[in-house]
Amino acid sequence: MTAVEVISANLDYLLLGSWPAGPLGGMALSVVIGLTAALLASLLGLAGGIVLTLGSPLLRRLVAVSAALLRAIPVVMLIFWCYFLLPVLFAIDVPGTLTVIAALALIGGAFLTQAVHAGIAAIGAGQWQAGLSLGFSRWQTLRLIVLPQALRIMVPSFVNQWITLVKDTSLAYIVGVAELTFVASQVNNREQVYPLPVFATVALLYWLWCSGLVWLGARWEAHYVRVGHK
Amino acid sequence: MTPPAWLGYGWLEPHFIGWMLQGAALTAWLALLVCGLATLLGVLLAAGYEQRWRSVRLAVRAFLSLHRNTPLMVQLLLWYFGVAGLLPEAVMLWLNAPHEVTLAGWTLAWPSFEFVAALIALSLYSAAFVAEEIRAGIRSVAPGQHAAALALGMTPRQVFRHIVLPQALRVVCRPLLGQYLGVIKNTSLTMAIGVAELSYSSRQVESETLLTFQAFAVATLLYLLLVLGAQLAGGRARPTLGGGR
Repeated sequence: MTAVEVISANLDYLLLGSWPAGPLGGMALSVVIGLTAALLASLLGLAGGIVLTLGSPLLRRLVAVSAALLRAIPVVMLIFWCYFLLPVLFAIDVPGTLTVIAALALIGGAFLTQAVHAGIAAIGAGQWQAGLSLGFSRWQTLRLIVLPQALRIMVPSFVNQWITLVKDTSLAYIVGVAELTFVASQVNNREQVYPLPVFATVALLYWLWCSGLVWLGARWEAHYVRVGHK
Repeated sequence: MTPPAWLGYGWLEPHFIGWMLQGAALTAWLALLVCGLATLLGVLLAAGYEQRWRSVRLAVRAFLSLHRNTPLMVQLLLWYFGVAGLLPEAVMLWLNAPHEVTLAGWTLAWPSFEFVAALIALSLYSAAFVAEEIRAGIRSVAPGQHAAALALGMTPRQVFRHIVLPQALRVVCRPLLGQYLGVIKNTSLTMAIGVAELSYSSRQVESETLLTFQAFAVATLLYLLLVLGAQLAGGRARPTLGGGR
């Protein structure tokens, strides 16, 4: 068999895993993990950034320290914590996919917390004063005046973090979740003949996915520039 | 004192902590080598980006895009399995066999193939990110500086080496430090190809002792120490590099 034949014979498996006969896997599972983790990380980051802006001193300290800790440790370590410890602590069987999503969402959220906080801080004090003097509460000023402007500044941070998250879905390989990278190593072990073409194909799939995100991010930013300060 | 059930009724024996210290040493050594190689290559790539020739610029752009927009894990597997598949069997046997060179009482051991593959993959991946930071730094140097140096009769290479690069490096210190901390964390992925670094050794200790919490707590603590240590060292080095400004 040539390399092309090996790839095309395994393409379905690389893209979908053993679905529909078995559970979803391959690139489809990577997409599910990536999308869920990106959504959760964005919500966590937004919440964290807002707490760092409006929270009580104790709460701010708590969020700042836990986010700094999460940013300082490798994703692999956090995946280990979630994968091996959650079942021990709660005496329940947590599926590998969920533990990976939890780990990725926590780390992504920690980085986005920093980005959201910095974005909010970049909006001038005059905007806050204007909002407060109009009789808005601090929360209203943040939600109606500061955050809409700050989100524009944060677009590149969010897009970069989503790209990092997409690439980090491949870490699920370490705990044996059947996403794209794991499935590729299975194909490689089974076929044994064309390791380079197999992994190059997988790299190309990830590259298309990430490059698509880069392109969307650039368009999104350009849109904000065109619309201007509306 | 016996720890409670959720801690597995036991503490780690000292020699298990020794395993993890060895792992941490390998993590630090690998990260140090990668930072050096990635910085060298990153400067070259950033210089290539500023070249006149379109083909060079296109090649650099392709390299950056391919390395930045694919997962490190896939790049590691590609180097480990892919390149091993390309090499002749005799070369692979030589690479996997231990080799030692004794020079004036010092013994240099040839590293394992896993280590070499990890070093290459990590360095290329990190170089792409370092290059982007340096490029941003170069962009931040006012174009007048470039023109003034050229007007003084410097060659383009001299301008880059003596005028643009020193100023750019001053700007990129902080983001570069961030990339170096990233390198420390990224070495953890090399456990997937069997490099016995910190994450690998913590898994080893975990499966040997079944003391999950203790094993990962020690490893996490060691990672925190490595990252904080690098951060402190970087913060101390910055004023020196910044030329007192």
